[in-house]
Amino acid sequence: MNSSPPSRRSVLRWGAGAAGVSALSALTGCGQTVGAARTTRQESTRPGQKVNLVFWTWVPMQKTVDLWNKTHPDIHVEMQTIPASTGGGYQKMFSALTAGNPPDLAQVEYQELPAFMLVNGLTDLSSYGADELRDKYVPWQWNQGVFGGRVHTIPQASGPMGLFYRQDLLAKWGIETPATWAEFEKAARVVKARGNGARLSAFNPNSPAWFAAMCWQRGARWVHTEGDTWIVGMNDDRSREVAEYWQRLVRDDLVFVEPDLSSGWYRQLQTGQVVTWIGPQWGDALLRGNAPGTKGKWRVAPLPQWKAGQNASANWGGASTAVLQGSRHPREALQFAHWINSDPKAVDLNIAVGYGWPAATGVFEGSALDKPDPFFGGQRYNDVFTASDRAIDTSWKWSPTTDADFAHLGDAFGAAMAGEGTFASALADAQKRAVDDLLAKGLKARSQS
Amino acid sequence: MSSNDLARGGRRGTARPDRAAWGFLLPFVALFLFVFVLPLGYAVYESLLKPIRSGPLGLGPATIGFAGLDNYTLALQQSDFLGSFGRVLLFGIVQVPVMLLLATVLALVLDTLSQRWAGILRAAYFLPYGVPGVIASILWGFLYVPGVSPLVDLLGRIGLAPDFLGYHGVLWSIANIVIWEFTGYNMLVIVAQLKSIPQELYEAARIDGASSWQTAVRIKLPLARPALVLTGVFSIIGTLQLFAEPLVIKPLTSSVTSAYTPNLAAYNEAFANNNIYLAAAESVILALVASVLSFGFLSLVNRKERGAR
Repeated sequence: MNSSPPSRRSVLRWGAGAAGVSALSALTGCGQTVGAARTTRQESTRPGQKVNLVFWTWVPMQKTVDLWNKTHPDIHVEMQTIPASTGGGYQKMFSALTAGNPPDLAQVEYQELPAFMLVNGLTDLSSYGADELRDKYVPWQWNQGVFGGRVHTIPQASGPMGLFYRQDLLAKWGIETPATWAEFEKAARVVKARGNGARLSAFNPNSPAWFAAMCWQRGARWVHTEGDTWIVGMNDDRSREVAEYWQRLVRDDLVFVEPDLSSGWYRQLQTGQVVTWIGPQWGDALLRGNAPGTKGKWRVAPLPQWKAGQNASANWGGASTAVLQGSRHPREALQFAHWINSDPKAVDLNIAVGYGWPAATGVFEGSALDKPDPFFGGQRYNDVFTASDRAIDTSWKWSPTTDADFAHLGDAFGAAMAGEGTFASALADAQKRAVDDLLAKGLKARSQS
Repeated sequence: MSSNDLARGGRRGTARPDRAAWGFLLPFVALFLFVFVLPLGYAVYESLLKPIRSGPLGLGPATIGFAGLDNYTLALQQSDFLGSFGRVLLFGIVQVPVMLLLATVLALVLDTLSQRWAGILRAAYFLPYGVPGVIASILWGFLYVPGVSPLVDLLGRIGLAPDFLGYHGVLWSIANIVIWEFTGYNMLVIVAQLKSIPQELYEAARIDGASSWQTAVRIKLPLARPALVLTGVFSIIGTLQLFAEPLVIKPLTSSVTSAYTPNLAAYNEAFANNNIYLAAAESVILALVASVLSFGFLSLVNRKERGAR
């Protein structure tokens, strides 16, 4: 007995103790700050040394990057394609930031920038001379990346919205292009009656970014700040009005309920079952690519208005080129981020892949966008988007928990479609959850009113 | 007699061989600590922390502070996180018995077949287990989406219009994927147990005039019980950890929410909402529920066993 081996229990105790000690020693060293494990620092380079940068994006801009590499032999950019947006792209970036091995550059949408600020994920570009570039960009897009007076990203493109419509079909059924949402609803009833199974449009219950744009146009503010407090107003009167409007259209079977930008939806575009799309400027490439047989039949009109004679617009999407926290070559990365978004040749290549509405000023004139387009029956359709872009209420702000807000809203809309609640109660639900999420992150937050 | 003596002699010198036994155990203990105890301890540690914000709007530098049980309170206040447990429990109550029943029947049938056929069928039934869960979900996803699926098309033609991805139906569509994946695996565990039953028992039964049905119910099933208990525990744990299938199906339908299962809730909290502390608390809660349920199941089964004796 006295020479007995260590009992099972004592070994386990030892194991637990050892594990605890090693865990503690690992944690006390680096557990002091939240977010990015590595901070940006400019590494000096020897003369003639080639700098390598890694760029994560889901926009197919390889040709633009190739052009950069050809014209800038000292700075080589390697583009790596990642899953789009919240489909895995941001998850990957946040993990890389936490692990301390992020890429130098990354595609970050405007609504995601506050979330990156929250994990200290963006390089303060003002320290590297970004303020001088301010005049080269549309002010509201530039300001999306300014936090505390410091520039944190270079804007790339936005998505001013308009109404894509099948001119031939509306004419056939004797429908005027709807200029107000009331006219839009009337038109939807006519299409249902005469359209032989067609519907005026489709409503996607799982596209909160689109729904946010609809509320944005109505003049809602989903989030604003007072002092240091975030105030969430997803459930304000204006957003509820939008929710009730779409609820009525869905209830009366005036629109298809389905995901847009999906294979089923594309087929309905091809067959003329879906007659309009309330979409962003970058949607032109999607229509052209997925319904080539409808060439010449489409036109673009301004978004329908809530009151006749108004001129309110909204934005769907919009992204920037950020230098992530931890880069060792922020100067070179900034140089690239500015070039890819403002150089006329680069912008032309970006336009060809449908990257959106340029954030740089003075690149639209004479570009591929500034032409009559045969797909839209020879219409200079981008003139509509130029006007739309100017009419966007640029005081809209995004919350640092936008991803989660969108998830809650999508969940609640899905439940409403299954008969559990309404679109309006979905807004109330999402607002409550949004405040909880902000508080859980240690921020000050409350519901509006 | 002599064999008994030998056995005793072997047992007498236990002190030294046990040290050797610990040596053999070392790789296991090391891995167990490294991939189980350490991450678990780390998760518990993280679950007790929270960020403390500073600067304008809290967007300035943040430090980590002690949160006490705040994250647990918050997790337990979230109705969709709690709802996810109800969902997987309902899922388990239906799916686990169906799957184990199927696996048992298949195993019993295979046990009565000739060697050649049994081998081929065993491989065929086991094959789905070799397909990763993500791939299986993609395959089945194609069979569920209207417009793409030949299955929906075919059922539509005979007047049935199943909504595989609907709000209430999608849970059972996922159950179907899980059954397809794991029935073969569970069957194999039961088959292995059946193979270890001594042939003498069957001979005795045959001599006593037992039919093959009686042999199955009175001999095979009771003796396959350890395997059934094992597969039962694995299935309960697997059900609670449901993740890949709903994650893959999610883009196809708005009926799968971001907190559809406890694991999905923790995943989204950690990587979409970037709140690893709350996610850690949710994971710890999930681990607790899983251990309570699996140990509860074990003690229930063992008590019955003792009662039966």
